[in-house]
Amino acid sequence: MQELVLVQPGRTAGGELEHEAAQTDIRREFEQRLAECGPLAYRVARGVLRNSADAEDVAQEALLRAYRRFEHLRDRNRFRAWLVRIAFRLALDRLRSAKRRELRDTLWSQPEHHPPAVNAEDLAALNEFQTHLDVALAELPKKLRLVLLLAAMEGHTIDEIASMLGISTGTVKSRIFYARRQLAEKLRCHANIIKKR
Amino acid sequence: MPCQHYKEALIDAAASGSEPRGELRAHLDACTACRAAFEQEQSLFASIDAGLHVTANAEVPASLLPRVRARLDKASAPRRIWAANWLVLASAAAIIVALFVTRAVWRPSTVQSPVETAGNSSEPPKVTPSPQNQIPVVVPPAVKNSDSPHQVAIARNPAEHATSPMGKTMPEVLVPRDQEVLLANYAEQWRLRKRAPLVAKDADATILALLQVAPIQIAELDVKPLAEEISQ
Repeated sequence: MQELVLVQPGRTAGGELEHEAAQTDIRREFEQRLAECGPLAYRVARGVLRNSADAEDVAQEALLRAYRRFEHLRDRNRFRAWLVRIAFRLALDRLRSAKRRELRDTLWSQPEHHPPAVNAEDLAALNEFQTHLDVALAELPKKLRLVLLLAAMEGHTIDEIASMLGISTGTVKSRIFYARRQLAEKLRCHANIIKKR
Repeated sequence: MPCQHYKEALIDAAASGSEPRGELRAHLDACTACRAAFEQEQSLFASIDAGLHVTANAEVPASLLPRVRARLDKASAPRRIWAANWLVLASAAAIIVALFVTRAVWRPSTVQSPVETAGNSSEPPKVTPSPQNQIPVVVPPAVKNSDSPHQVAIARNPAEHATSPMGKTMPEVLVPRDQEVLLANYAEQWRLRKRAPLVAKDADATILALLQVAPIQIAELDVKPLAEEISQ
């Protein structure tokens, strides 16, 4: 009788080891970027949502999504821009759903232009002008808002923002200019608050 | 109240952060109201910038990165569980395939048993390598009784049902010990998406061995009527 052996033709130990090694490399590379870009994702989300807890959730989700698709990112140097866009889009989605929920549930009890619920820590940190500014910022068009937020973040030059968003420096400058003008239009009526400060 | 003619120019100058020049500069030097309005606009923009700085540079919670790392670990875990489930399913499939293969291999021997008693040889199956493509052909032992009308040609590719273009989805299969390496090579060619080394139409007819299956010998049947028929 002929001896038979049980084999798995396509399976090679070397292939599995290579896959595991590749996954380890991806995780290591992502970890290096995580420490650098994690705060950026949080701040972008925070700038949109004006709420620390929601911003942290969104930042976590953005980083997780970035990790899942990290191996498909061809140009790893574009990671920051990529993450910023993911975080910004997720934050906008969260804001929209929060607004819908707010309108549906508690419209009758909310004053006009009241920001989304904030915790005690946030309330202590925000003064009246800041509240008005955040509301005005939320009403800006998306493109203007993102550029203005990135420009206001420490360590971002006009050139870096242009590179990050894939637009020209002239476009960045004009967006910042129009964004600030629109904010000023909305906040001019609160000039008395400024005088008090 | 600033002069209407210069109002927009004042705001633009304050918004851009640049110093007024030319006609606007001259007007500001001459007009107290416009100078006051310009200073107010500059103050407004300074406040906006300060507020934006606060918003954009919010302190990052210390819990953010540890939580992200924990979620990354969790995200990897389900894959392992999925892989384990896949292995269980693959093993079950392999057992089923192995059963079929074993049955196919053993059937001729069991059928042949009566023939063997009649004096036929019971040599083990021979593996004849194909001269063209090096894929072995399983040649079961020939039965001396050439009068048998049952002749079946077998030229079976050992990996035919076991391999797929994606090597990582390979089930386990039972193969003769001496064909293990050949099967691995064949699977590797599939994995690399090369043309299969053996297809039936390319096989040389001369190397297709004819399997002569001995007629099944059934002892004389003793047919007994059912109990109901007896009672009727």
